[in-house]
Amino acid sequence: MQIGTIDSVWRYPVKGMRGEEVPHIYTAYTGLMGDRIYGVVAADGDPGHPWHTGRNQEEFVLYKASYVSSEELLLPKNLDATYSEWEPGIDPLYPDADAFKVNVETPTGVTYDDIEDPAFIADLEKLTGRSLRIHTTQRGIFDARPVSIFSLSAAAKLGEELGMNVDKRRFRANFYVEWDDQDDPFYENTLVGKTLKIGEWLEVVIVERDPRCTMITLDPDTAEETPRLLRHLARKHAGDAGVFAAVLQRGRVNKGDRITLK
Amino acid sequence: MSFVESFRLTLDGEDHAVPIADGETLLQAALAAGIDAPYSCTEGRCGTCKSWLRNGEVSMASTRALSPRNKERGYVLACQSRPSSSTPIWLDFDI
Repeated sequence: MQIGTIDSVWRYPVKGMRGEEVPHIYTAYTGLMGDRIYGVVAADGDPGHPWHTGRNQEEFVLYKASYVSSEELLLPKNLDATYSEWEPGIDPLYPDADAFKVNVETPTGVTYDDIEDPAFIADLEKLTGRSLRIHTTQRGIFDARPVSIFSLSAAAKLGEELGMNVDKRRFRANFYVEWDDQDDPFYENTLVGKTLKIGEWLEVVIVERDPRCTMITLDPDTAEETPRLLRHLARKHAGDAGVFAAVLQRGRVNKGDRITLK
Repeated sequence: MSFVESFRLTLDGEDHAVPIADGETLLQAALAAGIDAPYSCTEGRCGTCKSWLRNGEVSMASTRALSPRNKERGYVLACQSRPSSSTPIWLDFDI
């Protein structure tokens, strides 16, 4: 049964920085290809969550990270072969580490060709007064689960309830979706425990609702903080917005793909 | 003995006088008084109870959800804040 469509697909090369919309993506058990590959670790960070993010420096959400080889990091070259020749599927081959090189543009217009350039960290340390380092892993750096889903209807309804424009990008989801059922703006909340098929291949199980933190209070274009958004979410929606998913069957996802309930 | 016996709390444009017991956080006191104060993790991580300490002094066990800019603006985490002086406290959630 079709329940919705993929409005847009997003990945975040650097945890906490601005995301990029992509036309399609390979989604593995470990999440979207190229999603949250880099993170900035703070020496004085919480041991359980050592990442330097907009929680520590609001403008961090304005930093723009881009893969130098962006196209190469959308689909593994041998993806079709792993589908057809090795049912139920051999893990596709990811590009070499060099392909994951990412450049960063700061809100003030300074560009670093490589986030691992020591000058980037040195300048960020100088700006924030923190001792920082870059952490990288091709498996992705997630707080909770590898895939996050949030609906356009939830963003619109929250905006209506608050009397403000609520930009979907505040919620930093991987898949923004449009539900066919327009009667329940928070329809994703009803899907916990259910399995969805997205596009031709990807299957995910919705594991839990997404408990939110102060990150959603930051405007993705200005980094201005609106604490009342999180306050409202806590008092009217149990603090949750969107859902987390775990991948059961890997595959390609395209913008506009149908979402069906299994 | 608590430094203060009550504090002023502003939420949704309304002022409340909230009694507070020794050892309680401002959030615990507000909830005990029946106020629909916002909160989630109660561990200083999520920032849901971020509020403006317009007057008074508090000590916080954790400030993880506060940025340097937040601290400059006088924001505190109600779930982590306990009175630390006898200066009257005014906590404003309407930020």
